[in-house]
Amino acid sequence: MPVFEQLNSGTMYLVCGAIVAFVAVVCAVFMVRAWRAGKALGMDTARMKRAMTASATFSFLPSVGILLGVIALSGSLGIPWPWLRLSVIGALHYETQVAQAAAEQLGQQLSAESMTADGFCTIALLMSVCIMWGMILMTVFGKRYLAKLSGGRKAEPASDKPGFADAAMTAMFVGMVSAYIGSYIGIFASGEGRFLFRGTWTPLAVAAVAALAMAGFTWLTEKKHMEWLEGFSVAGSMLLGMLAAVLIGG
Amino acid sequence: MTNTNHKHPYDDYLRSTHRLGRIASIITLALLVGAPFVIGGYLGAKPDLGAAARGFLAVGLVWTVSSVAEFLVYTPMLGAGGSYLAFITGNLINMKIPCAMNAREMVKAKTGTAENEIISTLSIATSSLVTILVLAFGVLLLTPLRPVLQSPVLRPAFDQVVPALFGALAYRYFRKDIVLALIPLMVMTALFMFVPSLTSSTSLMIIPSGALAIGLSYLKFRKTAQEDKA
Repeated sequence: MPVFEQLNSGTMYLVCGAIVAFVAVVCAVFMVRAWRAGKALGMDTARMKRAMTASATFSFLPSVGILLGVIALSGSLGIPWPWLRLSVIGALHYETQVAQAAAEQLGQQLSAESMTADGFCTIALLMSVCIMWGMILMTVFGKRYLAKLSGGRKAEPASDKPGFADAAMTAMFVGMVSAYIGSYIGIFASGEGRFLFRGTWTPLAVAAVAALAMAGFTWLTEKKHMEWLEGFSVAGSMLLGMLAAVLIGG
Repeated sequence: MTNTNHKHPYDDYLRSTHRLGRIASIITLALLVGAPFVIGGYLGAKPDLGAAARGFLAVGLVWTVSSVAEFLVYTPMLGAGGSYLAFITGNLINMKIPCAMNAREMVKAKTGTAENEIISTLSIATSSLVTILVLAFGVLLLTPLRPVLQSPVLRPAFDQVVPALFGALAYRYFRKDIVLALIPLMVMTALFMFVPSLTSSTSLMIIPSGALAIGLSYLKFRKTAQEDKA
């Protein structure tokens, strides 16, 4: 049987599917434990449900995008391995880059035609090894790191006065968003040569449309008291931003 | 929420979360690193360890630094349960972190509280299960779905998922403190304009951008605290 056919065989689905199933069980166990602990702590179950519903709606669209990553990689690595990689530990922006780097080291192309069994195993190993450090750090240092951050503070009721931790988290997010929005402006301004303003403006336009849509959702939620919209605001804004990309044509 | 009187159950919960998280992480690691060898056995092949090592030096080191930064920055945001799950299931920046922050915002949970720990865990577990289900159904339907999803009409939309996400989040976070947001945004924009090659390392640029925003936020926090004292 040719290698590429073997990569899409039932055995591959079984191996990869078993690992995905294990991780799904882990997620379910953590979810049930957190729910029970929240109830035991006296948390409002309606708020917990609201957080879960919002998370589910929030995650749907990006998950479809991740599915596209599976489709994109399936042309060279078969379907089961990219399915596993993007269900567990992987990241959409990471997998192709690492797979390509491994293929380059083997002196081959990342394509079905040039894929060999040894090549696939090497690519698969590198994809697993390169991104596992977050999990290792969390396993080895997570408990001590979190204990140190809380400074020995146990679960105390939140003070009415906002602390720096909350401001720092918001600031970190502002920094993260600034880096990405700044990169879209930079791509437009200097993507085709420094300050030529001939680079692609699609990411910038999509981000602008999504931001405008978010402003609309926020206005409806806060001023028109349509609180039920809040759980859909990010996903809805993304959808409108992505629609803009279709209208622009990429 | 009041949790002062529930200190011990929460401590027990945290302790068992760390134990369970470590066990799950170790098993997942073993499965992921072992899978290429198991598949190699099935294919009658084995990984080229030399090529893998060279590939690691080429791209792996960057991701290692990125992983350390992600661990240092995101673990306090997510708490114990959320962090174990997020690092096991991946897609942190583009999904898990914004998802958990969104849930946290909705229920107004404060960092470092038991409520934040529970909400983050519920949020990331839900998000991970949605992704696993979407991918599982997608893989099942892959053949009929492929023409639709890869159609030239829809393709640009899925190429722009990340800008759409960060555009929406920009409005949400920038409006909280536009002055705080403008400075890192201007600095990052200038950097990317003067050094366009940095756009291929945007995820690494989060570190200086975040550090700048946190520094500015701290200065403002200290100033406000001093004004409150006076």
